[in-house]
Amino acid sequence: MGKAIEFHGLTKMYRNGRGIRDLNLEVDEGDIFGFLGPNGAGKTTVMKIMTGLIRPDSGDVKLFGHSVQTDFVRAIRHAGCLIETAESYPYLTAWDNLKLAARYYPDVDGRRIEECLELVGLIKYKNEKPRRFSLGMKQRLGIAAAMLSRPRLLILDEPLNGLDVEGMLDMRRLIKRLAEEEGTTFFISSHLIHDVELTCTRIGVVYEGRLLNADYTRNILANYSSLEHYFVSEVERGGRV
Amino acid sequence: MEGFRAAFAVETCKLWKKKKIIAAAVLSIVAVLIGQLAVVAINNSLGLRVVGSGEFPLIVLSFFQYTIFPLFVTFVAADMFNGEFSANTMKLALMRPVSRLGVFSAKVGAIAAFIAANLLFVLVLSLAAGFAFNPASAGLAGVLRVLVAYAVSFLPVFVFGLLVVVLANVVRGGLAVFFLAVVVFAGFYAAGLFFSQFESFLITSMFDWYRHWIAESVNVFKIIRQALIMIGCGTMLFAAGYWLFDRKEL
Repeated sequence: MGKAIEFHGLTKMYRNGRGIRDLNLEVDEGDIFGFLGPNGAGKTTVMKIMTGLIRPDSGDVKLFGHSVQTDFVRAIRHAGCLIETAESYPYLTAWDNLKLAARYYPDVDGRRIEECLELVGLIKYKNEKPRRFSLGMKQRLGIAAAMLSRPRLLILDEPLNGLDVEGMLDMRRLIKRLAEEEGTTFFISSHLIHDVELTCTRIGVVYEGRLLNADYTRNILANYSSLEHYFVSEVERGGRV
Repeated sequence: MEGFRAAFAVETCKLWKKKKIIAAAVLSIVAVLIGQLAVVAINNSLGLRVVGSGEFPLIVLSFFQYTIFPLFVTFVAADMFNGEFSANTMKLALMRPVSRLGVFSAKVGAIAAFIAANLLFVLVLSLAAGFAFNPASAGLAGVLRVLVAYAVSFLPVFVFGLLVVVLANVVRGGLAVFFLAVVVFAGFYAAGLFFSQFESFLITSMFDWYRHWIAESVNVFKIIRQALIMIGCGTMLFAAGYWLFDRKEL
């Protein structure tokens, strides 16, 4: 199985002393990788580097073998992203927002736009402008925009933010379905341990800018009663609690 | 190139949907109509023929070049960069399969398209107004002069637009960029008056370069010199703007 994501010595430090240090990781194609860590651990920094929004101080990220730093267009071609907040153009309707995003992908047509809106439960609101949407609806629209091009990799930063219980369940089902049926790889950041445990097949624990460990969920749950225990254990082993 | 085309289509579509073009069109119509009514009023009350149908678009151009066109281009450029950074929507384009150079070029291309559309609209409008109110003085030669004047007026406004793009990538707030652009514009204009030896290097002094093109005797060397200065300035400003844009972290 090929590598969807490769981090090599990824480092990015901010002036306030926070950031990420010497991150090394490989994610296989088809994995649902959960990037678990508390607020401020460096999850979003990693995802921003992965999507070219910021540059690392050193190290490299490769998506499907292409470096984000030196071969951005090829690296990002097969990736869909939702980073930090789900933004959209507030003066365009939901459908028009996706239509604009579709211009970057020749294969995406109106039918696919409808399909994505249907999948995230926004088809009823396709002619409404996102300025009137709730946080959860904006999040759904952001996810629809990320999956529009049928990407092989979906990079989702806190995708369950703002979703109600029903929305969370729908999203979890959608992620699992895409991974099973279409072989989509997921790289999901979250600070919600329970959701990561239920959704992800492999989990990496990041704490104070360092990746403490990465293992398959089934192995973790075979050795620990819950992911929460594993997380505490990993952090303690790192001598930080 | 494929990424650039997609990004350009997205940028022009956003311009259109934000109704900036419609606002520019309405303001242009109002300004042209006020100008034409003033001309008619002078004709009727004083019995003087101020301008004919061929000269009216040139009067409009001389006014718009120093007011409406730079104002619009400042609004559009500031909105395209500062507006998107502050609304956090810039990342929507930057996370798509298009390089930063592609995104930057598409934005600059959309500004160029906006300027061209604005010039074309005012050209048609002022020609129509000129013919409607003073049909007796219409002539093909006059129309050709007007066409040339409007076509070549694109370059200085575009170079000024690139200057605003640089400012928009230096300063964070859109309003600050607007005021800074006004100060730079006024400063360049004043510097051109007081230090005439440096006038050739100030973009505001080139805004009326169309006059060289439609003069009785065309000074080809002066036209070439000014064109090269503007192209040189434009190239440097584009490079500076891209350098700043490429280093932005979101």
